[in-house]
Amino acid sequence: MYNFVQRLSGVTSFAMTTLMALVVVISLTTPLIPSAPTQTLTLLNVHTTTGRKMDVHDVDSKNAEYARLTFDLDADLTSMFNWNTKLLYAFVTVDYLTDDFSTNTVVIWDRLVKSKKQAKLKLRKHHNKYLLRNFARTFEGVSGANMTLHVNPVPYLGIMYDTPLDSIGVVIPRAVKPVENS
Amino acid sequence: MEFMAQANKRFGVRTLLVQGLTLLNVLTSAFMIWKGLSLFTNSESPVVVVLSGSMEPAYHRGDILFLHNGYSPIDVGEVVVYKVKDKPIPIVHRVLKVHTETETGRQYLLTKGDNNPIDDRGLYSRGQLWIDRSEIIGRVKGFVPYAGMGTIWMNDYPQLKTALLASLCVLSLFSNE
Repeated sequence: MYNFVQRLSGVTSFAMTTLMALVVVISLTTPLIPSAPTQTLTLLNVHTTTGRKMDVHDVDSKNAEYARLTFDLDADLTSMFNWNTKLLYAFVTVDYLTDDFSTNTVVIWDRLVKSKKQAKLKLRKHHNKYLLRNFARTFEGVSGANMTLHVNPVPYLGIMYDTPLDSIGVVIPRAVKPVENS
Repeated sequence: MEFMAQANKRFGVRTLLVQGLTLLNVLTSAFMIWKGLSLFTNSESPVVVVLSGSMEPAYHRGDILFLHNGYSPIDVGEVVVYKVKDKPIPIVHRVLKVHTETETGRQYLLTKGDNNPIDDRGLYSRGQLWIDRSEIIGRVKGFVPYAGMGTIWMNDYPQLKTALLASLCVLSLFSNE
């Protein structure tokens, strides 16, 4: 009644349908798995400097102000690992307001946490990994700065989402020998 | 012509036409779904295959990414697919800096690949320091591993593509119902 090709096509189409349904169910349920990450972020010092060429593509970079942060970070992200977590992208942002810009958000530090063993973060007197610089050349008019730890789980399969943890206030000072804002 | 006449005698014109119609139906409905998805996600290509290893270990070559562009502003830490003016190949990287102008709502974005030591300014157009919101094709929302390996193989070996298409056509003509 049925030949080999028809049976094969039936089996593969059933397998594909089941797989698709499984993908959808896994994608939708993974973000619902509860987790309780703990963290404390402590800012020790902010020091603003100027006068070095930091970026070869940017002609302005020599005259710009750069903030160098010193911070402590303790976080336990172990509970964020479940059976569908490939890795966690943990990152610290600094966001602030200026006169012309409603959002200024800069990632200053990040780490890929690949397993439960690496999930306890402990940083002491750590400096920013990426440069913190305003869109304009100086930090003039910068207000309401905050520092936040975010965690982005990357699943083996499914939906991406962002988890911002508590944030702390930051004051970004001007450089000791400020450059003119022209 | 000999072949056509023989085929006509064996299957009849009507059967052949119906087969052709079924084939066209499959092709057009696939195209419709693609364009509908494109409209819904506001993205010119809502499903992409990762072609490089610059986002390892998060994404490998051959993984499929589902994009949703939407209209809302981009946030830091999101993985986006962007295409700058002079470069034809879209790039999947993470957003490192965001500055949004209050008056115009214009966004200045800087990206970086997880596996790259430095940011992407070297990959942008000459003299370009920031990516614009309009250059973003979509943000990565969903992820299925390995499912795009077929595309990678077909890119690497173009003969595979022709062979696949030919065998599909032959199969569709000689299957009954």
